[in-house]
Amino acid sequence: MKKRFPAVLTAAVLLLSMTGCGGEEAALQEGVRDTNPDKGLAVMGNHVTYDPNHLVNGGEPVTLDWWLWDAPDLFGSIAREYQEMHPNVTIRIINNPWDGYWTKLPLALQKEEKGPTLFNVHNSYQHLILPYMAPYEIPMEDLTADYFTAASHEIDGAIYYTDFGVMTGAIYYNKDMWEAAGLTDEDIPETWEEFREIAKQLTIWEDGKLVQAGFNYNGEMHTLLLGLPYQLGDTLFLEDGKTADLTSDGMVWAVQMLKDMYDTDRIGDKDFGTDSSQSFGQGQSAMVYKWGHFYGYMGTNYPDIRYGTFEIPTAEPDPFAYDRYNGEATPGINKNASPEQLEAAQDFIRFYLANTRVQKELCMYYSLFPANNQLREDEALQENPAIHAVSEHIEDYIWPGAMPSTMEENLKIAGQDILYNNKDIRKTLQTTEDIVNVDLANTDFTSSEHLYDKYGE
Amino acid sequence: MLKRRPLQSRSEVILRNIVVIFLTVYMTIFLLVPIVMAFAGSFHLWNPLNGTYEWIGLDNYIRMFRYPTFWTAMSNTLIFCAVVVTFRVVLGLSLAYAIVSRLTVHKTFFRTVFYMPTVTPLVAVAFVWKIMYNPQFGLIDQILGLDINWLYDSVFALPAVMVMTVWKDFGYAVILFMSGLLSVPSDYYEASNIDGANAWQTFRYITLPMIRPTMVFVVITSLISYLQAYVPVMVMTEGGPGTATYLSSYLVYDQAFVKYNFGYASAIAFFILILTAVLTALSFKVTGERG
Repeated sequence: MKKRFPAVLTAAVLLLSMTGCGGEEAALQEGVRDTNPDKGLAVMGNHVTYDPNHLVNGGEPVTLDWWLWDAPDLFGSIAREYQEMHPNVTIRIINNPWDGYWTKLPLALQKEEKGPTLFNVHNSYQHLILPYMAPYEIPMEDLTADYFTAASHEIDGAIYYTDFGVMTGAIYYNKDMWEAAGLTDEDIPETWEEFREIAKQLTIWEDGKLVQAGFNYNGEMHTLLLGLPYQLGDTLFLEDGKTADLTSDGMVWAVQMLKDMYDTDRIGDKDFGTDSSQSFGQGQSAMVYKWGHFYGYMGTNYPDIRYGTFEIPTAEPDPFAYDRYNGEATPGINKNASPEQLEAAQDFIRFYLANTRVQKELCMYYSLFPANNQLREDEALQENPAIHAVSEHIEDYIWPGAMPSTMEENLKIAGQDILYNNKDIRKTLQTTEDIVNVDLANTDFTSSEHLYDKYGE
Repeated sequence: MLKRRPLQSRSEVILRNIVVIFLTVYMTIFLLVPIVMAFAGSFHLWNPLNGTYEWIGLDNYIRMFRYPTFWTAMSNTLIFCAVVVTFRVVLGLSLAYAIVSRLTVHKTFFRTVFYMPTVTPLVAVAFVWKIMYNPQFGLIDQILGLDINWLYDSVFALPAVMVMTVWKDFGYAVILFMSGLLSVPSDYYEASNIDGANAWQTFRYITLPMIRPTMVFVVITSLISYLQAYVPVMVMTEGGPGTATYLSSYLVYDQAFVKYNFGYASAIAFFILILTAVLTALSFKVTGERG
């Protein structure tokens, strides 16, 4: 027996290592049975309404897993509010890091019922998860009446997710530098021509060395390029919605203007740091172009910097669109969840969408312009500079659709090639367009540009 | 010829069988099956995350050869490998030779210091070097009195990544070469001394031939590992500026895990596999050794 012991021990170790982390998960904590349909609570919502006074799943316990990549406390508080109304429903918040989320989630959903019942969605990954999603059981007309971007998410007459808020770009400026240059609110520029003149006043060179950039777009060139061509009426995709058009006059104009800002105006420099966010936070750059989440970034990392915001300048008054926007999406529902889970998930989504307080909290947290029409004039939201800057013309921002990453990735490469490697603008854009179109041919992407009100004008 | 010792007990036989079965199963599941799946996938439009798996024949390979970034990445990879392997070998051998020299004191100290970068996590090292290369507050520009945006300059970006890689990895070569140098019998050196050989002749005709197996090992393992390098690029440059620092393995990562073109990424991976095999065979041939 003694001689056999090492072999048995080795076998046990090897077998255990092969089974990895297998084993039973901890028993699910399930809700209690609910027998009281009358909660004594008011009906919520305007067109999308939610009446809490009913039993979910006949009051029998049911557990929903809700996957997300961010803000577990915020989403957890929403889940708790729902569970207080329906104590038989248990919602387990499972937070995954963003990096692994989009690999793990589709694979988990392939396990059908074993996958999460609810999961947060980012529209750029729609192509990966749409096959596993159940449509919302809410009439389309109610959704579009309450949520101004809902129509853009319609797929074959159904909605699988919509936006709870939208985010876009704005100019952030350092108030101390602005005042030091003798500028006031009256000087807020509306055109790029005015903007470049203001930026010159904010730029400081000392002994041939840039010490304060008037405008710094390092690391953001591709973000600007994905929006600026719209100002001249040029879309990112041709009419078929499947072919990228990155050589339009609007795109060439945008690239040339950005390059001229550094090369001719000398209001910034490609070598003045590699990250415009950091540069603005460190008080080295007077103006930067950033999307709404920059508000949170500044609050977390550089709370002492005094800054304001204004809307992105335009090439000419009344542009086709000021910029593009992107939405932050409502949760998706796993179509292969059990009937009990599906019923509870659909009920939860209705609660989520009808509850304006929840919607407001989400928009405050992420600095988003609210997609819910009832919150448009909300004072607390309007106080957020990221939201305030874009609120006046929000209808004049366009959503290109859930773009595959190839667009952003390759425009980033093109921007660097033009800025740092001094490559020819038109040739570089042509090469980029060719590469992107090969990639797009292998996807089922179709642009949503045609849904924009001014499209075709 | 050594005579094989028979297994002495039933326990030994069981242990051997368990280990062999475990390794066979392990290698099959985690190596052979993925390789076969990737090879099959290279002929498909393949995205395992949304279930796409459509036969497209050689399209991925045709697309690969027509894709300009692929050639940029391949040429960068070959330059990267050639330079980094050369520096690793030259620096490693020189320092090992210096350490084993009778003139050097505190050998353990130097051996430890040179080996320290090797045991430091690569991602952490890459981040530190990225900060050192910063054009505004980076140590390198300040020490050298230069104003170069190292990682955003198409001339300097790839060399900057190479310098970091050499610094990180030369210590491993030092240790290997030291063991090779110490295994050379002292009789040879005494004989060469009696014959009146100078230092260079001793090194050229005794040391180098005697440490050739170590040299081959260092070159081959370095080559294989640098053909797969992508972490320094991912952390320091993300392939930029433009595609100036794209390496072939970074391209595979980019296509598979950023753009989800798993079939296309598999085609590139197979090309790298063939290239690795060819370069390894070439290295054996050049150094006059056979497996």
